[in-house]
Amino acid sequence: MALLLDNLGFFLSGLESTIRLALLTLVCAIVVSVLIGLMSVSQWRGLRVAALCYVEFWRDIPLLVNLLFIYFGAPLVGVPLKPFTAALLSLTLWGGANGAEIVRGGINAIGRHQFVSATALGLKRWEIYRYVVLPQALMPILPPMTGLCTTLVQATSLASLVGVNEFFRITQIVVERTTMQSGYSPAFLVYAFALVVYFAICSALTRLSRYFEQRLQKTGTSAIAAPRGFKESA
Amino acid sequence: MSAMQSSPTPLIEARGLAKTFGQTQALDDVSCSIASGERLVVIGPSGSGKSTLIRCLNGLVKPDAGEIRFDGDRVELSSEAHWRRLRQRVGMVFQDYTLFPHLTALENITLAPVRAGLMAKPEAELEARRLLERVQLAEKASSYPTFLSGGQQQRVAIARALAMRPQVLLFDEPTSALDPEMIKEVLDLMVSLARDGMTMVVVTHEMGFARAVADRVLFMEAGRIVEAGPPDQIFGDQSDVRTREFVRRIA
Repeated sequence: MALLLDNLGFFLSGLESTIRLALLTLVCAIVVSVLIGLMSVSQWRGLRVAALCYVEFWRDIPLLVNLLFIYFGAPLVGVPLKPFTAALLSLTLWGGANGAEIVRGGINAIGRHQFVSATALGLKRWEIYRYVVLPQALMPILPPMTGLCTTLVQATSLASLVGVNEFFRITQIVVERTTMQSGYSPAFLVYAFALVVYFAICSALTRLSRYFEQRLQKTGTSAIAAPRGFKESA
Repeated sequence: MSAMQSSPTPLIEARGLAKTFGQTQALDDVSCSIASGERLVVIGPSGSGKSTLIRCLNGLVKPDAGEIRFDGDRVELSSEAHWRRLRQRVGMVFQDYTLFPHLTALENITLAPVRAGLMAKPEAELEARRLLERVQLAEKASSYPTFLSGGQQQRVAIARALAMRPQVLLFDEPTSALDPEMIKEVLDLMVSLARDGMTMVVVTHEMGFARAVADRVLFMEAGRIVEAGPPDQIFGDQSDVRTREFVRRIA
C-alpha cells in the first residue's frame, strides 16, 4: 500500500493521460462511426463502397498491428506522429470501423416501413434519418456501442507500446523500478491495482449507458415491439 | 365514369403505368383518373397490382413507364424533389406499419407539417389536437403508439395524414392488419371523411365499405384494370365474369 501511495503522483499523471486518450478516442471514434455508418446506408453507391472498404480494412487488422503500422509508417510518408497522436489515430480508425457496423446494424434494425411511411409524409431523406430513423436506432445501437467503448478504453493500454506514458505504462515502470531498487517484485499488487482502476472506469461507462437505455425505454420505444406492434394479440 | 367527366381537370391522372418486379408484371398499362371529391375504391385478388397502383400515385413505387399528372401538372417520374412536393399534398395510410413509435400521438401528427414549413409548431399542435378530436382520440395526445390499440393507432395515422391538409388520401388496405373488432372504428372514420368530401383512393377488401362509399370501383387482376364503374355495376349481375367471380368469392 505504501508503494502505491509513494507513487501516487506518478500514477495520477498516467491516469490523466489514459483518461485524456480514452475520452478523445471515444469522441472521435463515435463521430467516425456515425459518419461511416450513415455512408454505408447512403443512396449513393460510391459512398457505400467507400464505407465498406474502410470498415473491411480497419476491422480486419489487429489493433496492435494497426498501431505499430501507423506509428512507424507515418514518418515514412512525411508526417511523424507523436506517440499520443498515433495511438489516438489508430484507436479512432479501428473503433470507427467497428462502430460503423454497429450504427449500420442499428439503422437496419429499424424496419423499412418506418422509412416508407416517413417518405409518404413528404419528409426529406435527411429529415427521415434525423427525426424518424436515428432516434429509434439509438436503442439497438446503445448496448453494443457501449461494449465497443469499454473495449476502446481498455485498448488505450496498448498505447504504452509506442511510449505513451499512460496509466498501464506507468504501472509497468513502477513494477520494474521497484524490482530493481528493492529486489522484490510488486507485480501482483501493482497490476491488481491497474485491474481495479480499469474496471472502475469501464463499469462507470456501462452504468452511464444503462441509465440512458432506461431513459429511452421510458418513452415506450421498445425496439422489438415497435415495428410490428400493431396487432393487439398474436 | 361520370365523376371524371364532370370535372374539367382530374386531380390525379395516370396513363399507361407499367411496373415490373423481377419477373412479375405488377402493372401492365394501367390508366385511371381521380376527380376532386371522388371516392375511388380499388379491389382485386392479392397480387393483382392494387397496392402497386396506389403506391405509384405518390411515388413510393416508381413506375417503369407511363405518365402521372397531379392537378394538371406532369410529375417528373425520376425527380425525387418532384415526388416529395407531390407527397406533401397526397396523404397515405398504410396497412400495418403506421406510427413512429418514439413519438407521442401528437408528435407523430405535428412532425411532417412543421418540417414542411406548413405551420409553426404551436399552430401545428393546435391543429393536431383538433384532428385527434376529429378521430375521437383527444385524450391520447401524449400517448406513445405502443400504448394504443391497433384501431387507435390507425386513427392517429389518419389524423397524421390529414395534418398535411392533403388534397387526396390514399388508403392501402387500412383495415387488413386489424383485429376484427377494430375494423369498424376505422371504417366509420373513413366513411365520415368521405361524407366531408375528402377525395379518397382506397385499396380494400371491405366490400360493404366499397358499396357504401365508392363513387367508382376499379377491379384489378394480373396488373390490369379489368373493369371500372359505379358500385351498382361492379357488384351487380352485369359485371365482367372475372369481377363477378371475385366478388362472389370474397363476399
